[in-house]
Amino acid sequence: MATNRSGAAQRPNGAPQTKVCQFKLVLLGESAVGKSSLVLRFVKGQFHEYQESTIGAAFLTQTVCLDDITVKFEIWDTAGQERYHSLAPMYYRGAQAAIVVYDITNQDTFGRAKNWVKELQRQASPSIVIALAGNKSDLAAKRMVEFEEAQAYADENGLLFMETSAKTAMNVNDIFLAIANKLPKSESGGGGGGGGAGAGARRLNDGDAPRASSCCK
Amino acid sequence: MNEEALLARASEERERIFQRYERGRENLAGQIDPWEDPEFEEYHKTDRYGFIHDERLPQKTAPQKVNIEVEREKKWVKMLGSWDSTATKEKLHRRIYKGIPNSLRIKVWCKLLDVNRMKSENPGKYQEMLKLAKHWSTDVRQIDSDVNRQFREHQFYRERYSEKQCSLFNVLCAYSMYNSEVGYCQGMSGLAGVLLMYMDEEDAFWALAILLSDKKYVMHGLYVEGFPKLTRFLEHHDKILTKFMPKLKHHFDKFGLDAILYSLKWFFVCFVERVPFSLCLRVWDIYLLDGERVITAMAYTILKLHKKAIMKLNDMDLIVNYIQVKLHKDFGYEDDVVIYHLERSMDELKRAKLDYPGPPPPNELPKRSLGTFIEPDKKSKIGQRAENFSETEKQTRATVILRREKAALELQELRVSQSDTVSEHSGVAGSGARCDDSVSGLGSRRSLAETSVTSTADLSVFSSSRSHAPDNSLDTHSNVSDDATGSDGSGICALSIQRAPSTTHSTPRATPHPPSISPLSDDVVRIHVTYNPLAASPSHLHPVSPSKYKAYSEDHHKPMSLGFYTSNGANNLPSDNRIRIQVPSEELLTPVVDSGRIITQRYIESHSELYDLK
Repeated sequence: MATNRSGAAQRPNGAPQTKVCQFKLVLLGESAVGKSSLVLRFVKGQFHEYQESTIGAAFLTQTVCLDDITVKFEIWDTAGQERYHSLAPMYYRGAQAAIVVYDITNQDTFGRAKNWVKELQRQASPSIVIALAGNKSDLAAKRMVEFEEAQAYADENGLLFMETSAKTAMNVNDIFLAIANKLPKSESGGGGGGGGAGAGARRLNDGDAPRASSCCK
Repeated sequence: MNEEALLARASEERERIFQRYERGRENLAGQIDPWEDPEFEEYHKTDRYGFIHDERLPQKTAPQKVNIEVEREKKWVKMLGSWDSTATKEKLHRRIYKGIPNSLRIKVWCKLLDVNRMKSENPGKYQEMLKLAKHWSTDVRQIDSDVNRQFREHQFYRERYSEKQCSLFNVLCAYSMYNSEVGYCQGMSGLAGVLLMYMDEEDAFWALAILLSDKKYVMHGLYVEGFPKLTRFLEHHDKILTKFMPKLKHHFDKFGLDAILYSLKWFFVCFVERVPFSLCLRVWDIYLLDGERVITAMAYTILKLHKKAIMKLNDMDLIVNYIQVKLHKDFGYEDDVVIYHLERSMDELKRAKLDYPGPPPPNELPKRSLGTFIEPDKKSKIGQRAENFSETEKQTRATVILRREKAALELQELRVSQSDTVSEHSGVAGSGARCDDSVSGLGSRRSLAETSVTSTADLSVFSSSRSHAPDNSLDTHSNVSDDATGSDGSGICALSIQRAPSTTHSTPRATPHPPSISPLSDDVVRIHVTYNPLAASPSHLHPVSPSKYKAYSEDHHKPMSLGFYTSNGANNLPSDNRIRIQVPSEELLTPVVDSGRIITQRYIESHSELYDLK
């Protein structure tokens, strides 16, 4: 992964084989729904029953290959506790994609997920791709949120939707792949742009981290 | 559901959770979800602090170390017997910096925090708070879910509803009532978790209370809504970086890496799970003695010790992983060495008047009196979240975003000013006193002139920064510049000379492990020099005056694609047929490369910075 990453874009001789797109993706959702576990499963293929709680935020990257294009996700995994909510805008600003996670065994977390979606629709980039993940699908016996209910909600709001299990790996790669497929990859500027009111600041950010420019090199 | 039903449901949930902790593991046989109680079959080693590892532990503590600890214990026992004497006060500082013997930690920590005083001044308070929590705490669900994942690799916390898990739950619930402004904030389970490894429940409660509200530590401001102390300390941390390690700060800024990401746990939980536990305890020893200055200084020390390795990492992912994961697994320096540097950092910061960001403003201190019951409002009882940010939160959000923008702006200005004045080799952040080389005594720092074997010279070519003047733009891989010390725009080569294997690192105090840096593809040009004992002497390296180094030339072997400056690319070029090599004055690791693989990384120090190879 590490070599891949710097490889394609930086080789002095020989153009990269495929186009590489970078996207900023943020995970949001109530505490203990499995945000970090989804990321861990996606990035490292691992699962920890006792995944430590995320304090503040964590940052990881993973690359997925589509047919003719390589998509590198820069993943911001956020803390779920409400106290940390005030830091979240810092992470979803300028994000091109978001996964809003709830726990299918807990109705409250689904309600909370809806609030996150609302907040993203209001505050984040208008073109942000939002996916809804009903996690812990391995605990279907304790299900409190019906699949159909969540699917209907996702349809209404134009969200990607899957039930996932970080524990069994079900649908984990799939949801990231679905996002990768849905992200615009042609025009420079990509889906990101400015987060909410921060359009001007976004421009600075682009200068600040040239890698963060959202589209293909 | 209507409000009544929601309230009823919330209180039912609270009681249900409480009950399980009250019954404890023994009485819950068959009632614990398997997923909550992971099996640990593969674990077969427990370290001296109680952490269980999934691989065999490295060698046992060396016998001489055990002896030292036994000797120290004797001294400490004596000292504990006369804690308030002047003799103790004189010795305390020195002895604590050497490390409190683990067997006596509990006693010493309680003394340092003055736990007994708090406890005796508040008889029955802890039980009262715990009882209140059972009926009122709105943080029970969050605490429950965090207890379920705090230190699960430690023998005390490994089993669900074990005695210590129950204590952890109780302490946090009771505290959420005791300090209603903070309640429970994620992070506190780490603090209480460590305290409970050494203390009983009530002592740990008071120790936590002291850490949050005593003026020496005032962690209250870290956990309270809006995290005012965090933003203030991060600002101060940035100030220290700007002054002492501007290049590192620049490196972070370049990747948009804010300190809030990599250092949050340093401040919130005093390095728990960010440095190895043995080192963490040593820092806690000192933190309990000297207070919040220690955190600031330790943050500085970590970056100072690892600056070279971090500067080599050209991806935010790699940097964050290094600081958060790698350093937790293996800090790369012995604890004693780190503490030695920590103490030096504290002096250094004090001299620069940067050891302390100042006393806490009112918003970082408890406003309500502690231990007084205040009934939570309906919304928090139900567990409903606020629709909108409070004023404090809005301010926090603005502050953190502003931090990023300010950093980005500075970076941009810096780039502009650099492309104006290419010649200003070292003026990175433009702040007056730069002490970027303060980590002397670390690593092997041999002068180039002492190098004995020069049969293979590798040139690691660092291209110039992205902000170059257009005439340098034949540089085709400008990303590589992230590596360069001289990302200030003066296209620099670093010369590394392969040395005889006998010349390994050796320094009296420091024992760094070989840095394990992933070999990012620094573009490297390899120059073979036919070995000739006579010519191998460094006498053919002629230092040139720094005033000339801005020019950079070679004619014959023009590796165009490698980002060298070409002769028509700069003015005032001496156009004779030579390669000019500049060795950066920074103590960066320089890769030695064989067949494209980095075989080792070395520190190279030059007395003069430029050499001309004819």
